[in-house]
Amino acid sequence: MRLGSPELALLVLALPFVSFLALALIRPLRRSGRPAALVSILAMAGALGAAAALTWQAIPVARDVNPSVLWSWLPADGGPMASVGVWVDGMAMQMCVLVTLISLLVQIYSWSYLADEPPASLGRYYAYHSLFAFSMLGLVLSPGFLQMFVFWELVGLCSYLLIGYWYDRPSAARAAVKAFWITKLGDLGFVAGIVMLWAATGTFDFWPLFQAAQAGTLQVDGLATIMFLIYLGAVGKSAQFPLHIWLPDAMEGPTPVSALIHAATMVTAGVYMVARAYPLFALVPSVLMLIAWVGAFTALLAATMACVERDIKRVLAYSTVSQLGYMMAANGAGAPGAAFQHLTTHGVFKALLFLGAGIVIHHFHTNDVFRMGGLFRQRPWVGGAFLVATLALAGVWPLPGFFSKEAVLGAVLDAHLSVPFLMLIATSFLTAFYMFRVVFLTFFGHAHAEHHEHPAPPIAMDAVCRALAVLTLALGLRAALTGHHAEGPAWLPWISLAWAAAGIVLAWTVYQARAVDPARLSAALAPIDILARRRYFLDAIFAGAYRFLLLGLSQVIGWVDRYVVDGVLNALSAGALRAGDTLRRLQTGRAQDYVYGVALGVLLLLVWAQLG
Amino acid sequence: MTEIVGFCVAAVVLVGASLAVVLTPNLFHAVLWLAAALVATGGIFLLLDSPFLFAVQLLLYAGGVVTIVVFAIMLTERLVGASIRQTSRFVFNGAVLAAAVFAAIMGFVLQGGAVARPIAGGDQLRELGRALAGPFGVPLQLLGVLLVIALLGALYFARAED
Amino acid sequence: MPLAAYLVLAALVFVIGLFGVLTRRNAVGILLGIELMLNAVNINLVAFARFRADLAGLVFTLFTIAITVAEVAVGLAIVIVIFRVRRTIEADHLDLLRG
Repeated sequence: MRLGSPELALLVLALPFVSFLALALIRPLRRSGRPAALVSILAMAGALGAAAALTWQAIPVARDVNPSVLWSWLPADGGPMASVGVWVDGMAMQMCVLVTLISLLVQIYSWSYLADEPPASLGRYYAYHSLFAFSMLGLVLSPGFLQMFVFWELVGLCSYLLIGYWYDRPSAARAAVKAFWITKLGDLGFVAGIVMLWAATGTFDFWPLFQAAQAGTLQVDGLATIMFLIYLGAVGKSAQFPLHIWLPDAMEGPTPVSALIHAATMVTAGVYMVARAYPLFALVPSVLMLIAWVGAFTALLAATMACVERDIKRVLAYSTVSQLGYMMAANGAGAPGAAFQHLTTHGVFKALLFLGAGIVIHHFHTNDVFRMGGLFRQRPWVGGAFLVATLALAGVWPLPGFFSKEAVLGAVLDAHLSVPFLMLIATSFLTAFYMFRVVFLTFFGHAHAEHHEHPAPPIAMDAVCRALAVLTLALGLRAALTGHHAEGPAWLPWISLAWAAAGIVLAWTVYQARAVDPARLSAALAPIDILARRRYFLDAIFAGAYRFLLLGLSQVIGWVDRYVVDGVLNALSAGALRAGDTLRRLQTGRAQDYVYGVALGVLLLLVWAQLG
Repeated sequence: MTEIVGFCVAAVVLVGASLAVVLTPNLFHAVLWLAAALVATGGIFLLLDSPFLFAVQLLLYAGGVVTIVVFAIMLTERLVGASIRQTSRFVFNGAVLAAAVFAAIMGFVLQGGAVARPIAGGDQLRELGRALAGPFGVPLQLLGVLLVIALLGALYFARAED
Repeated sequence: MPLAAYLVLAALVFVIGLFGVLTRRNAVGILLGIELMLNAVNINLVAFARFRADLAGLVFTLFTIAITVAEVAVGLAIVIVIFRVRRTIEADHLDLLRG
């Protein structure tokens, strides 16, 4: 295990935070637009440098050394109740590099992509980006569940802010709220699980928990329930079925945001959390089995929905959901390492796909793939980069996607999860199919007659895409050359390649050679086709549950409040008023009646004196 | 012997006149019956060996008060002829309450044992004078003040409306 | 006559006066009832003064008589003013203190 220096880790955290503070508090700076962007980009570059230094200067240590450094946050008798700190092991350092790198590239890309935005909005955008980078890095470096939860929520907030960046668009505002609420649903389980774990063990911190788990001394009743609740947080954040419905709608945000948050970093937080807490999950195989099944099912489901989408960004969104399913399946199969590997490679080429899609959208002024075509002839470099990323996603050798997918499939097979394995194999076929469907429709075929001026893509966007393409190739070649072999059986790579090839061929047949009419194909697969187009009615189910259950419940509670709670109070006050009105009739204003009262009183006194 | 006869006569007159005061519909007649009751009370005082008070009662009460009331009735002359049927709804209740109060007082009165009647003392008037000048001097002065205030009050009310 | 006889007589007159106060509609009529009640009190005082050989009872009676006279004078003055203002002295109509 390699241990990094806590000071450098804190530097990595501090730089984006300082940038955020500067942009948030110094209004003139934020409103100036370009200078604000510059501040954020420079801070990010610094953070990347610090993360790289962190990785290079890490020292190898023995396995049982505590990789975390803690400071007391909520002091109490007998040790602090909650602590903050950093946990700097190999996985954390790799994530730091990934997050800072992709953030930097996306921020540079945004410089051109959002060039037409008013300066004040641009400053706001970069402030959100800095906050997001800080939050994600804090999440990754967390030494315990409490700190991780705090940053988890911050990341969710940033997602809301960035999806709803164009807040005056109703669809964007709705999408931001939907994302927030759906992930919040998962977070309910997360926080419940964390608190129950703390109640049982007395600590939030990973190191003591993992030590106890590995030594077999962790005595917690209902650990399966607790870990399931914690997993629910990952279900929401990493868009597993059924809480995946927010991710496609999140495409309302700017494309660079989608590249950063909904491909490489935020959505991977759930996978990261499960991988990080794996020693605890290992104690509850039933939950792991569930994670694997849900992951595989999510992968397949999302892939079917991607096949019928017209919007290029939505295809990529469903693709992300699908790949997240792969990662979670690997987690559930007992190979968090494979999951993490796929996480990092996917982060790189999915970001490239999104950013490339940004250039495509910028060129055609539409998201609809059926209105695109023939871009490769005009922009071969963009096409080349996009093709590299697509091949990586489809899992073709020697690109990194091939190796990481192989690792995942091998792990699932090793765990003897046959049905999930079959689901994942089918998914890889569909992945190749829908991605190449997009490629053929966008880059090849006939250009539709559009009379727009098509200037070259701005340098920043182009350069970032080329950089990512080079990185993808480099990762793949490194894996190929170091002889990185997965633990699976020998026939596995050939089978997965064969399925990928089949998918590519089918896509070529239908969309390039036009040999098979797509309509006839959908008709042949009618039931699945209809369901996929309707997104399996999940959105409707959620909306119905909200309207029926939640609103129904609030109406009941409202009724109780109005008629029971208020009713009691109103009855009391009405009773008091009525009593007052009745008693008031004693005050007739006639002196004789008062004398009558006095006489009665005297009589009573006399009787009482007599008796006493 | 004479005392018993005197007492019975005075008592009968007193009670009868009182009932007449409260029951006559004609207010003027009621005032006259009141005069009779006050005189009967004077008689009672006489039986109780207080001739001075008998004189005071006749002068002030039977004389002064009755005169004032008669004047007041004449100044508010619309009232002659009001029939008892228009008396307030409390006739029955009032009678019951009055009877109850009487019964309660009786309870106390009849409880006490017989009290010996002491022999009538010496010159009552002189003693009275000495008491008024001596121990009861201050209340006497205050009474004087009260009368002045009452006079002023009555004068104030009697002034012409402007 | 025993003391009790005088006390019973006084109580009787008092109660009759009370009845008058309660039932008379006319304000002057009510004042007449009050007169009777005060009268009864005087009888009581004098009876006790006689049977206890205590002069204080007589002094008290004198005071009571004097005060009663003053009270009647002022009370009737008020009645007259009310009559002037409201043209009625029926007790039922004088209910300005009504709540």
